[in-house]
Amino acid sequence: MVKVVVVEVNGLVKQYEDLKAVDGVSFELHDGEVFAFLGPNGAGKTTTVEILECIRTLTGGVAKVFGYDVTKREDVKEIKKRIGVLPQDFSALDKLTVKENIDLIGGMYEKRLDTSEVIRMLDLGEKTKTRFENLSGGLKQRVGVAAALVNDPQLVFLDEPTTGLDPKARRDVWQVIENLKKLDKTVFLTTHYMEEAQVLADRIAVINKGKIAAIGSPQDLISKYGGLKTVIIRRGGKKLAETLQQKYGNTTLNHDNDVLMKADDVNEMWQALSTLTSLQLDKEIEIQAPTIEDVFLKIVGGRITEEGELK
Amino acid sequence: MMRPLVIFLAVTRNWLRSRSGLFFSIMFPVLLLIVFGAIFSSGGGGGQTTLFVQNLDRSLNGTPTNASSAFVHALNLTKTFAIKDVPANADAKVWARNNLGPLGGNIRIVIISNGFERDLVNGTLKVKVGISYDLLNTTYQYFIAPHLNETEKMAYEQGLDQLRKWNQNLTDTKTSLTLAFDASDQSAQVIKNIVISVANAFNYQAIGATSVIEFNEESVTSSSYGAVDYYLPGIISAFIMTNGLIALTSNTTEFKRRGIIKRLSITPLTKLDWIIGNVLSQTLLSLMLTAIMIIVGFIIFRVQAIPDALTIAVIFVGSVMFSGLGMILGGLVKDVEGASALGNAIACPLMFLSGTYFPLEIMPSYLQSISRFLPLTYFSDGLRYALIYRYTDGVFTNMAVISVLAVAFILIGSVVTRWKEK
Repeated sequence: MVKVVVVEVNGLVKQYEDLKAVDGVSFELHDGEVFAFLGPNGAGKTTTVEILECIRTLTGGVAKVFGYDVTKREDVKEIKKRIGVLPQDFSALDKLTVKENIDLIGGMYEKRLDTSEVIRMLDLGEKTKTRFENLSGGLKQRVGVAAALVNDPQLVFLDEPTTGLDPKARRDVWQVIENLKKLDKTVFLTTHYMEEAQVLADRIAVINKGKIAAIGSPQDLISKYGGLKTVIIRRGGKKLAETLQQKYGNTTLNHDNDVLMKADDVNEMWQALSTLTSLQLDKEIEIQAPTIEDVFLKIVGGRITEEGELK
Repeated sequence: MMRPLVIFLAVTRNWLRSRSGLFFSIMFPVLLLIVFGAIFSSGGGGGQTTLFVQNLDRSLNGTPTNASSAFVHALNLTKTFAIKDVPANADAKVWARNNLGPLGGNIRIVIISNGFERDLVNGTLKVKVGISYDLLNTTYQYFIAPHLNETEKMAYEQGLDQLRKWNQNLTDTKTSLTLAFDASDQSAQVIKNIVISVANAFNYQAIGATSVIEFNEESVTSSSYGAVDYYLPGIISAFIMTNGLIALTSNTTEFKRRGIIKRLSITPLTKLDWIIGNVLSQTLLSLMLTAIMIIVGFIIFRVQAIPDALTIAVIFVGSVMFSGLGMILGGLVKDVEGASALGNAIACPLMFLSGTYFPLEIMPSYLQSISRFLPLTYFSDGLRYALIYRYTDGVFTNMAVISVLAVAFILIGSVVTRWKEK
């Protein structure tokens, strides 16, 4: 089946005096997929997205949305009609209710969904008459998503939609994104949360220092860069860790006294399991598959903190 | 629905539901009107100015002379002053300072010098004799002399010459009053003029002259307006300006800081739509402010000024002008604190230099020249002409200036408002 290209970016460059925020980025976004831009703060995620949203100028390269050029005035009008956006740190008019804020954004479009329909989609029915200032962080984000959907867009940009939310609110937003997928919306998600990208995205682009380091489905990236599985012996202790380290290497002890051993290949894993069996340990053993975090660590050489900083 | 209208509704709702916004844009001006009204609408009684009078002109038994007492009485008759007598043997300035009362105030002293009565009598006599001589001489020259023979003429001229010589021998003394004021006392000039007026009246009375010019007071406006009516246009125009310059600027920068403008810019909304929506919102607030001020003014001070269509037109154009200026500042300034500070820095001088609270005539000429370059001058003048004087030509002249500035500010505002990040 031929994939319909919704976003086409080729050699995109954004230069701020001495800083190259986006450095020759190229990618495509296909109709109906959830595409995640994964990277730390300052990687160039928001800059790229804002260029595509036509609110930031580009320095070089080509960026097209639905075939319309983001640098052409007439094309920009067409793009703005067709996209929905949840900006980073979304905010709305504090003294207006949920409905009034959605109506405000909806009022900017000639063709739009009924506000009550969007409110139902986002399960905001009970909060319709609540003022924005009185909503929790998670609900505010949901209002932001509702506002992004009010024009029934084909493409939805969600820029760091769960940053600063508690785990419950984060899961709620994930649910909303999964529902968008069911509605066949194309979603461009930017995030610095590994798990979020892995759970939600059909494809992930790992971006760092303005460049895309890797791009592909989560499974492809894990199999290509994630390495092998990790054998975890719960509460194994220091002595066991030293034994396995001497025999196989790549063994560490975490804060919970768990022994973590990364096997270089399948043979080594079986040998390690055999050793553990012979030791007749009364310990719980777990085998953990590599994650996008491992991919990121491998590609970028660091981890991203909760705040989005590269460490 | 049209986009500017959607923006207008949203921004206005947001504003009207904000307690601080309502206080500063509506309640604060109303409170100021009440304060101004209370100050300027009182009909005397408690409004007398303390005037220290030291009478050094004493008779041999130590009591004030008749003439000096009469002068103090004349000051009293003006009903402007609450006169406090300073003992003759005291240092007047020190005594006045020590007797200002618990609330303090400005020191204003009139000192009647020793010999006031004597000099007054002598001076009056010399003036009267001089006048008599001039009158007799003129009458003689033009009416009597042509009918007399030489002998009669000589006798007449000898008599006139005797009168002239006698007048020359009279002492040419002028009695003096000393007025002492604080250099920073802004009311000093007014008080000085009142004292001089009393002295002049006293002079005329002493020489037996009567006033030949009679003053009748009439209002230049058709209705019976009170003092508060005259302050209304000033207060309204000043607060329409501050709403545009400070409140709108702060709001715009706050929306910018919170990403609300950025969010709206991603939609098909244009910069001009955004500006028009905000300007309409400010205009509605201005009309609401005007209506509330007039209602409160009517209830408390019986204000008579009723806005007509022309007044509403002036308010509309003025609101557009200052909203445009607010959009320029909002576009230039990045943070809310900076916006508020800049708005205040512009609004405060405008308020005092544009004749909104004080007449321009009392200002030095160079400040009056500066005021002609300030937009608030034209707005408050236009509003005053429309609301109080019903002076149509004046309204149209000022409205023309405001309209040109309004268009210019809106255009500049739409240029400096950033709809796209760099």
